[in-house]
Amino acid sequence: MKNLTLNKNIHRRFFLLTTLKGISFGILSWRLFDLQVIENKKYDKLSKDNQFNFSLVVPERGEIYDRKGRVLAANRDAFSLYIKSSKNLNVEKILGKLSLITNLNEEDISNFKKRYINLNKKNINIFITDNLSQRDISKIAVRLHEFPEINFIMTKKRVYPQGAITSHLIGYTGKLTEKDLKRNKNLINFSNLRIGKYGLEKFFDNKLRGEFGRRREEVNARGKIITSNLYEKPNPGKNLKISVDLNIQSYALSRLQNVETQKIGLNEPETGSVVAMDVNTGEIICCVSSPNFNPNIFTRGIKSKEWKSLIDNKKAPLLNRAVSGLYPPGSTIKMAVALAALESGVISYDNKFFCNGVKEYGDMKFHCWHKYGHGNINLSQAIERSCDVFFYELGLKVGIEKIGLMLNKLGLSSNINLELNELRKGLVPSKKWKLDVKGTRWTPGETINASIGQGYMLSNPIELATMVARIANSEMAIEPTLLLNKTKKFGKLNINKNHLNYIKDAMSNVVNSEFGTAYKSKIRKQNFKMAGKTGTVQVVRITEDEREKGIIKNKDREWKKRDHALFVGYAPLIKPKYSICVIVEHGGSGSTTAAPIARDIMEKLLV
Amino acid sequence: MFSYKNKFYKPDSLLKKLLKMDWLLLFLVLIICIIGVGALYSAGNGSLNPWAMNHLYKIILGFLIVLILSQLKIKLIMNFSVALYFFCIFCLIYVIYFGVGDVKRWIDLKYFFFQPSELAKVSIILLLAKFFTTYPNNSKNLLYNIFAILLVLIPGFLIINQPDLGTGSMLILLGFSIIFLNGLSWNIIFSVTLISLISLPIIWQNLLEYQKYRILVFINPELDTLGKGYQIIQSKIAIGSGGLFGKGFLTGSQSRLDFLPEKHTDFVYTLISEEMGFVGSISVLTLYFFINIILVREFLKEENFTNKILIFGVSFLIFLYVIFNIGMVTGLIPVVGAPLPFISNGGTSLITIFIGLGIIQSIRVSRNV
Repeated sequence: MKNLTLNKNIHRRFFLLTTLKGISFGILSWRLFDLQVIENKKYDKLSKDNQFNFSLVVPERGEIYDRKGRVLAANRDAFSLYIKSSKNLNVEKILGKLSLITNLNEEDISNFKKRYINLNKKNINIFITDNLSQRDISKIAVRLHEFPEINFIMTKKRVYPQGAITSHLIGYTGKLTEKDLKRNKNLINFSNLRIGKYGLEKFFDNKLRGEFGRRREEVNARGKIITSNLYEKPNPGKNLKISVDLNIQSYALSRLQNVETQKIGLNEPETGSVVAMDVNTGEIICCVSSPNFNPNIFTRGIKSKEWKSLIDNKKAPLLNRAVSGLYPPGSTIKMAVALAALESGVISYDNKFFCNGVKEYGDMKFHCWHKYGHGNINLSQAIERSCDVFFYELGLKVGIEKIGLMLNKLGLSSNINLELNELRKGLVPSKKWKLDVKGTRWTPGETINASIGQGYMLSNPIELATMVARIANSEMAIEPTLLLNKTKKFGKLNINKNHLNYIKDAMSNVVNSEFGTAYKSKIRKQNFKMAGKTGTVQVVRITEDEREKGIIKNKDREWKKRDHALFVGYAPLIKPKYSICVIVEHGGSGSTTAAPIARDIMEKLLV
Repeated sequence: MFSYKNKFYKPDSLLKKLLKMDWLLLFLVLIICIIGVGALYSAGNGSLNPWAMNHLYKIILGFLIVLILSQLKIKLIMNFSVALYFFCIFCLIYVIYFGVGDVKRWIDLKYFFFQPSELAKVSIILLLAKFFTTYPNNSKNLLYNIFAILLVLIPGFLIINQPDLGTGSMLILLGFSIIFLNGLSWNIIFSVTLISLISLPIIWQNLLEYQKYRILVFINPELDTLGKGYQIIQSKIAIGSGGLFGKGFLTGSQSRLDFLPEKHTDFVYTLISEEMGFVGSISVLTLYFFINIILVREFLKEENFTNKILIFGVSFLIFLYVIFNIGMVTGLIPVVGAPLPFISNGGTSLITIFIGLGIIQSIRVSRNV
């Protein structure tokens, strides 16, 4: 009986404990279900975060070709040197040993040290330099056993096979900086990424850059990389074909730089610019600026000394004069003034003015370039001989506003959509502009100056080439472009055809008539005859005293004080194909310096 | 009682004895053991060394022990219970002075390391069974119970002091559950519980900040993400990322990339869960559950009081191992360090459980059916 109650009691206790066991098993089962089924996604992500490190793979940058497929910018295989960080790494010692073998760029080393100090992860590769020659690489490779921390990674390096010929146009790439990141929110912060800093490289950076790929590295708990493979392929940048013809470009550059004019012990190339444009499509065939630079020095990492010499150079080799060089256009805008006059009806084809060499207005004297005057001449002759007094009179009759409107219509100081960030708009002054900016009223004397393209007026070579292209085309308001243009339609020009033909005849006479200012530079081949207009721009004002004493000849003046030589033109006369603008800074007169260059380049273009 | 005595004079043949063993139970154990070898093969990155082969040898040894113990009369085994208990106490004191290992838990026996704390678990089952059989039915007597509790607490505190909180607390829980089963009066249980609950806040108040922090970390290891928390966080990630069907045999990234600590011992269940998913982890848990059901059936079938205590003790020991281990790796209970029976590559604990199984078999074989 006693045994029975004992057994009963023990069974009751046993039942209690067994229930407890059952509940425990239930809780464990639920916990497993919760972790593995309900919360699986969360833990799966955590596990992958543990397992994998992702690193970016830089896409190959798109290449740039000229209109005939010749390479202007390409990528070449290169090696980057990396150091693997770990505890107790004596960086100074390793770098010291390395620099005994190779020449490490000082800036690379200081940049590397910055990166190294800011580092918070272990066991990752830190970039030292990608600026090593093949010889340096092989020297290190042979002694790699002495540098267990060092490794190479294959990279691509930007090269510009044409070097200085296309320097301003193609531009260059450079390391990504904080500023770039602030400016462009889409950029991925990747220390070794190079982005376009200048020229087409900058303008088309997004297109050329491509999209990053990702490399996936499997990492164990101690941070050691177990496997590494490409997870997402990088999308290489798109190639770019531009409208420039390398042949013409290189010819134009050498022709511009080797002007044998009034040099006094100056062994430097001429400064200036040449722009040639297709008058039917707006495609820019050549776009030259001098002096230039070798863009490849930016690829190998420009030394601060080199950079300083580029920046400090008074001739500003980094400036793309074709698009950001602003010059007074001088006589090259006389066609526009004439067109403004014809369109507004203040003058007819046969109206004549008398030029005695000077125009007096109030107590001011405005001189013609021809000391003794051109006599009694009409509009066509005034353009042909570039008579200033004629245009003083004409300018006063038409007024600055109408001149300005015509200049805008022809592309000066208008909003040109060129594919270069460096483009600087020219300036066509107006009464309102004078009041807003200078705070004083417009004076008729300023109209007189403006009508021969002096005074406040400024323009760049692209605008001037566009102006001539529009006159030559006569139908459409051609816009310049650096891309091959097959489809783009332009707006109508809306200028009376007869007026345009009259002006074009006058421009032809400038080159082809024996009284023309550029007669010496005419093209003799019958089918390729050129029309144009010269311009000689005063850089310093000539005082009346100086005039009395006799004007000092250009070549006797200090280089900085010499006139700019300009020429704009188009060819052939019938069915024009190309327009051109040549500017030689301080090159003397347009007819003697600029026009021959234009002629030679035009011949090269047409043949 | 006399009816049993007759049995001594008519011993069963060896074949009959073998047939009387619980082969279903041993079959389930064998399956779990094979899973263990597989898991350890994976833990060794797809190699039999260093753990899988070693484990296999220990399993064979374990089954031999079961076979040998099953042939011994349970009464014979019980005769050694007191001696075994004092031997364990002696060893536990011995390791304080001559133990090896970081925490002085093992005795170096030249060919293997012996961990007396594991053997103490079996010995406490045997001793309590002996004690309650020899002095039955005094469950309401306070002194009687205090003596029983002391029998448990002496080895318990010796082990906790090593320090091995997991094994120590497991032993204490095992002992208390047997005392409870024997009929510890509810009055005592309630009053002790009440006193502890009241004194708990007072003790907490008097603790220093760092002591409080240590206790908090013990309760919730994830507070300490680099130390103990790290293991638990990684273990949970591994289990959770296994999903329904797992990452596949030999492909668990957490274990293969060494994010899992102790993947061959205490955290082997995590590895199985990661590679085999919920399907695998719940299957293993179910096998343990079946083993427990078989032992419950055995308990209910058994009529002898001593044997009842022994069967319960062994089943509760296996249960405690499973709950401690899986509870720990899934982050339900603090990290205390407990191996998973038949799967974790541990020495003495594995043998201890096989000794337990051997006792069960001995009871079955000795039974007069």
